[in-house]
Amino acid sequence: MNSAILYALVGVGIFSLGLYALILHPHLLRKILAINVMGSGLFLVLIALAKRTGEPLPDLVPQAMVITGIVVAFSATALALALMVRVAKENHRAELSDDESQQP
Amino acid sequence: MILHSETPWPALLILLPLAAAMLSFLFPRSAKFTGVVTAIIIALAVVGFGWHLQSEGVYRHAVGGWGAPLGIDLYGDGLTLLMLAVTALVGLAITLYSLDYFNTEQARWFWPLWLLLWAALNALFLSADIFNLYITLELMGMAAVALVALKGGRDALNGAMRYLLATLLGSLAYLFGVVLLYHGYGTVDIALLAERIDHQPVAWAALGLMGAGLLLKTALFPLHFWLPAAHASAPAPVSALLSALVVKASFYIFLRLWFALFAPLGGEVAWLLGLLGALAILWGSWQALRQTRLKLLVAYSTVAQLGYLFVAFPLAAVAGVVLWHGVIYLLISHALAKAAMFMAAGNLLRFGGHDRIVDLNRSVQQLPLSTAAFALAGVSIMGLPPSGGFIGKWLLLEAALQQGQWALAAVMIVGGLLAAAYIFKVLGYAFTPSTSREESIPIPATMAWAPLLLAFASILLGFLAPALFSLLDIGSPFERGAGS
Amino acid sequence: MLFDALLGLLLLGLAWLLLSCRDLFKAIVLFVAFGLLMAIVWVRLDAPDVALAEVAIGAGLTGALLMSALAKLPVDNPPGRYSNEKTHWLLPLTLALMLLLVASGLGYALWSLPVIAPGLSGEVAANLEQSGVSNPVTAVLLNFRGYDTLLEIVVLLLALLGVWSLNSLDATPATAEKPANLVLDTLMRLLVPLLILVAAYLLWAGANSPGGAFQAGAVLAAAGVLLLLAGWRLPTALAGLPLRLALVAGPVAFITLAALTLLNARLLELPVEHAGMLILLLETFAMFSIGVTLAALFLGQRPQERGGSA
Repeated sequence: MNSAILYALVGVGIFSLGLYALILHPHLLRKILAINVMGSGLFLVLIALAKRTGEPLPDLVPQAMVITGIVVAFSATALALALMVRVAKENHRAELSDDESQQP
Repeated sequence: MILHSETPWPALLILLPLAAAMLSFLFPRSAKFTGVVTAIIIALAVVGFGWHLQSEGVYRHAVGGWGAPLGIDLYGDGLTLLMLAVTALVGLAITLYSLDYFNTEQARWFWPLWLLLWAALNALFLSADIFNLYITLELMGMAAVALVALKGGRDALNGAMRYLLATLLGSLAYLFGVVLLYHGYGTVDIALLAERIDHQPVAWAALGLMGAGLLLKTALFPLHFWLPAAHASAPAPVSALLSALVVKASFYIFLRLWFALFAPLGGEVAWLLGLLGALAILWGSWQALRQTRLKLLVAYSTVAQLGYLFVAFPLAAVAGVVLWHGVIYLLISHALAKAAMFMAAGNLLRFGGHDRIVDLNRSVQQLPLSTAAFALAGVSIMGLPPSGGFIGKWLLLEAALQQGQWALAAVMIVGGLLAAAYIFKVLGYAFTPSTSREESIPIPATMAWAPLLLAFASILLGFLAPALFSLLDIGSPFERGAGS
Repeated sequence: MLFDALLGLLLLGLAWLLLSCRDLFKAIVLFVAFGLLMAIVWVRLDAPDVALAEVAIGAGLTGALLMSALAKLPVDNPPGRYSNEKTHWLLPLTLALMLLLVASGLGYALWSLPVIAPGLSGEVAANLEQSGVSNPVTAVLLNFRGYDTLLEIVVLLLALLGVWSLNSLDATPATAEKPANLVLDTLMRLLVPLLILVAAYLLWAGANSPGGAFQAGAVLAAAGVLLLLAGWRLPTALAGLPLRLALVAGPVAFITLAALTLLNARLLELPVEHAGMLILLLETFAMFSIGVTLAALFLGQRPQERGGSA
């Protein structure tokens, strides 16, 4: 086992922990944290496996992809947090309401 | 120079709505004008692109001049063209409908968001690069969520939040698949991947993750949990574009990947998709029938109609290309009809101030055009001749009967009967005469005509089959999955 | 290797802690720590550009956003408490087992990958000369896959549009502004010019060494966030069209360049002899817009325009 596959497996672990928390925790801020953690795990897999070039320098395309990914994840987080604050005001708690009933 | 065959129509289809979004954000006062002009130019550009495809064949363009695998390629064939065309048509109708729908503050945000969403859709249909597709998916999803939330109020905000979480999770799963494919095969270009893919465990894992992510975004049963609330609570033009276009975009990516990469892997997967599709038809139709609110009924109908798209997968191995023609026909006619339905429902809701189905009794007298649009769109959703929906469902049903798949055939027929039941339930109340004279808000002409024209188009589609099938064959997008 | 194993375990542990921590404030602090640890891992994995982006955006600005969102949540929802509905113990267990199964499958798929895979490193090296810059990551971001970056800058702007639309439709007025704080004020006077210098350096350096528009933009945004924290607000005369122009400058520069390349019918194909200059120009506009957008996202509310149309 080399460090590339080691970090990649850690990345899978982090992704799974995030998914577990995303599904289980009702609090919206926790869900948003969980999505960010999942993203970090995924980025770790992407960059760790790029070390397998067999040369000292890694494959750099994944690094550019991750920088893109970090900016996209940040954008999504910003939108999610703003939406969460509005939802929390409507629901009086930072959780989704379960009832699907439509008000007129 | 301008009409030279080298005119980069696809690049224009991406850059134009982007530029228009910036303009409408900078100058909100002229946003409506910007929107209408953009919609018209996009329609012309799609025609130009179609003309180019007809004369030159499949389109491939190396962005930046690098070419795959280092750079990103744009790709267009008959399927791309039809998706762009239906987006242009529905987009034009939504643009016209929205001119008078929103108040000033909402309009300030609607126009840039909607134009960005349009740019994302066009970019998505034209991309040949699975990482680039991820960015277009995020652009599309976030714009869609912001548009749902534009309605304000408890339902829309909860619906938007649930939608955002679902779509972000879907994107992450999809991106994980991209990561696996890149590290397994050293490229993110679909065509190159198609040459290199084999039966390695990474390919299977990528199929699972990308499939799950895209089906979550497409709201295939049982991953549809976010759809009814989001689609029903959004502003009417937004509901229309979500049901007509946004769920179809993720389905489009799934279809592309299926043909290029995964069809050789997944014989059993095809049956799983067919099963889920059948359950979606039954569950969605049944739920639609049970709803007491018009927009929720229409939203559940979307869950059911999406099911039809997946019933085709297990039949494809034998039926071949003609079946996929049926699927695309169904997709397009549903896009037109459902957009018309949501806009018509929006008119009824705006006019009466509510969308309780039992109290729709004045609608046919007061809003004949909107009721007619709903009824015509309903014909296509039910799959009655001569509508576009009929052609699509007939091709699917024919394949199921020929292959002796009685259960799938039965599900499709039951789905059609249930669709008839829920549409006649609405029309039944709409045709009830009423004597009450309540206060009501008049509907501007554009809002009355936009859904009617789309509904007409969904019927008219039934007469265009040969022409559309020949367009669809450009570049034979269904070759690989059909034979294997 | 041992160090890597420890770092990996620490990352997993921190992830678990921050996700299960009962106090949301602590959870956010742990999240920032997780991001910083991640940055160390990026350095270990020879990804200094990513490390910079992670510290500035992934940990720094995301942390700031999370904190400010937490402060806006209703107080009648104590952050330590879980939902009222008691989840049956069977659900977490089933979920955990299923995820373990999925994770093992994924792990197996990764394990079965070839040990040596060059990826696109050869192509990047072969074409670096033509890209106009010598930092390969910048070359990928701004040239080889510049189209991705065009869309990505638009995503960032889209997030701001979404946030502003959400907040402008909110009926409740914004919370009262905090009075300026002397310590913060002094800190600001010292730090803001420094941060602007750092941003300029990162942008310039990005052509040859780690750095670039996103990292520089994030540093610029940090200066903006400091100013905002110290109570500074955009003059109302600038809050309308001038602010919007600043926000779209980056995307518009990109779109304009793309449109110009269309005159040759070659989308985003930069002439080799001008590529370096064009990339620097693009990055300057992009950095400026990214900085303003990130700071505006932190503020949340659209600044009051002159004439009071908010």
